[in-house]
Amino acid sequence: MSAAGPPFSWNLISDLRAIWQFEFMRNAFEAGTMIAIVAGLIGYFVVLRRSAFASHALAHTGFSGAAAAVLVGANPVYGLLIFTMASGTGMAFLGTRAASRDVEIGTVLAFALGLGLLFLSLYQGYATEAYSILFGEILGISTGGVTFTIWTGLVVLGIVAIIYRPLLFASLDEDVAEAKGLPLLGLNLAFLLLLAVAISIAVQIIGVLLIFALMVTPAAIAVRLTRRVVSAIVVSIIVAVTAVWAGLFIGWYEPYPVSFFIVGIVFVEYICIRGMGALRETELLQALDAPEEEGVRSLGNASLLGSVAQALLVGGAVLLALALLRSPGSAWNIAALFRHAFLALLLLVLAAGVGTVSFLLYFSGFRKMATSSREFTSPALLTLVGLLGIALAVSGLALFLTGAALNASAYALAPVATLFGVPLLLLGVVLAVIGLFGQAVGSWRAGLRYQEGVLRAGAWLMVVPLVGHALSFLGYRRALARGPPIAPAIVPA
Amino acid sequence: MHAPREYEGPAIRAENVEVRYRNKVVWQQATFDVEPGEFVAVIGPNGAGKTTLFRMLLGLHWPTSGLLSVLGAPPHRGNARIGYVPQRHTIDRDTHLACDKLVRLAYPGVPWGPEHRYRPTPWGPRLRLRGEREAAARALRDVGATELGGAPLGSLSGGELQRIFLAEALVGNPDMLLLDEPLSNLDLRRSRELVEVIHGLVLSRGVTTLLVAHDINPMIKCLDKVIYIANGKVATGRPSEVLTSERLTALYGVRVEVLRDSRNNIVIVGGEDEKGEEGA
Repeated sequence: MSAAGPPFSWNLISDLRAIWQFEFMRNAFEAGTMIAIVAGLIGYFVVLRRSAFASHALAHTGFSGAAAAVLVGANPVYGLLIFTMASGTGMAFLGTRAASRDVEIGTVLAFALGLGLLFLSLYQGYATEAYSILFGEILGISTGGVTFTIWTGLVVLGIVAIIYRPLLFASLDEDVAEAKGLPLLGLNLAFLLLLAVAISIAVQIIGVLLIFALMVTPAAIAVRLTRRVVSAIVVSIIVAVTAVWAGLFIGWYEPYPVSFFIVGIVFVEYICIRGMGALRETELLQALDAPEEEGVRSLGNASLLGSVAQALLVGGAVLLALALLRSPGSAWNIAALFRHAFLALLLLVLAAGVGTVSFLLYFSGFRKMATSSREFTSPALLTLVGLLGIALAVSGLALFLTGAALNASAYALAPVATLFGVPLLLLGVVLAVIGLFGQAVGSWRAGLRYQEGVLRAGAWLMVVPLVGHALSFLGYRRALARGPPIAPAIVPA
Repeated sequence: MHAPREYEGPAIRAENVEVRYRNKVVWQQATFDVEPGEFVAVIGPNGAGKTTLFRMLLGLHWPTSGLLSVLGAPPHRGNARIGYVPQRHTIDRDTHLACDKLVRLAYPGVPWGPEHRYRPTPWGPRLRLRGEREAAARALRDVGATELGGAPLGSLSGGELQRIFLAEALVGNPDMLLLDEPLSNLDLRRSRELVEVIHGLVLSRGVTTLLVAHDINPMIKCLDKVIYIANGKVATGRPSEVLTSERLTALYGVRVEVLRDSRNNIVIVGGEDEKGEEGA
């Protein structure tokens, strides 16, 4: 956008404070946050009810409403609200399966777009107005617009809170909901009106054409991450809010539209999640024909190696910190680093090696456990992610060290290596922590399965170096000694 | 475990019931009783009005004449004492929601105030009702699907899905179960397993159960009664009484033969081929 403020620094807090000195940016962040929360919540129901196309159509009819409002000199949001709510009502009376009537909806939405085009051509100087309705203009939101957005959003949240349970049931199982006496028509109408309102306020930042990015994709990401309704809604909201914030943030420093960054972030997240889903389907994560006992044994070995790796990591980090404290300049000088902190580096390399073996063992253990119970598939997947993280962290560290070495010889590529090395290292560490989290979840589930308190305690303390893995090791040993639990019979005799 | 009955007389009483669908008579002069705790199969050709019977019992469709009472009262929509599994009830492969959530959502209960066992309370800003988790766990256990509780709905096989639907119907501790073709997509072994589960529920909970099926053989041994709908008429009685060449010939108006093999499996020949379409 406009880099009127101070340039970008890695201190994100001070960057944000600099950005927030401008009122229009404060407005954008406030309205954007509320819109993202509403869109993330309503989006979950859109995905559950498979009415993504209907939401797209509502946005398009909203376009003609906005254009009409512009023509008569009113705020486009009011036009949006009137037109989307009217067409939402119409859709509700078409029947509960209206969401899947793609031919009818498509016909109406094409007409609505054409109507909008006509209204705009009647209005003098339509190009900029059309542009901001079609693609969003978050930086143009006035303070009054923010207040309106926030109050509207609160009303939507309140209504969803009231009809949450019946709406969820009717979305999931229409026939039984009807037999149970739930008012299907009323619920469908309420949902489409809520959707209309959510779209009307979301169009302000993301535009009619890009509405999917906030209304559908965050929820589509969320349902692939969790099977629980409340956590799916929370994840969906988090994805939407972070995308809006990151989009506004990047848009401040780069001369490109905010909408693009929001759409781009959500898209990349979606691709990553789908990739992970595809990975889960592959042979790698499918349960093997292996007895559970073997799985518990390799999990025990994995936790033993895990505690060794953590010990090495902690030792290496402490030594490295000490060496850097003694001679601060050596961080940027590879030769000095090797001279002053050789033992520390050696320990860190060893930690990475042992940690990799531990992760591999965890992975194979969870995979074997998955033969007995599906609940061990996700720990296996997360451990795999953690393995990827270790690989990334190691390559990031190598890049950084290369950069440092090249820096010493004043070679032009040095900053690039450093620039990419650090983010790679950070990303790797984050992914490795996710892997560790997966191991904690898996150990917790194994602890529940074997009714082994030590194992569950170990799972909770997994982040504490040494203690967590050591306790888990003990727990797995005891589980092994106790033997497998009595499997509940799926088929009653 | 099963609560004492709160009604007098038969679970279903139909006297001279006539029903129309889009102004066409589906069936007429239907007179039958279903006693509490009976396991009843509803058999008949496609379009004979089996689902219509269920919709009438659920209060979603009204008889044009005659007298119909369900659990001691006229049928009414939203009857929480009836558990219902609709026909061809499928779930999208993409549904990532956990199974036990579906079961829990079907639980009719009250979140606050005095507890009325049978009043469904669909409204309110609540994430969870009192006793919901326990009821869902018990329903899942009773259908032998405890292990499936955390699995995503879209990942289940046909037989597993039917168990979840059964648990969904069962979670409100109903007095009557209406199961519309739960066996239609299952192979013979899975059908027999599901019938065993359902029969177990009939025995342990004393729940009156009506099951629509195309093939009566998987359940022939545990049935108390058969309701045979064909050709605009309804015949009821014990399986051995109804499923005879004479009764079915009289019902269809054309020659029908009921054949039995050495293991007492039943094959019905004729009838449906010649008159079944008209009976729709």
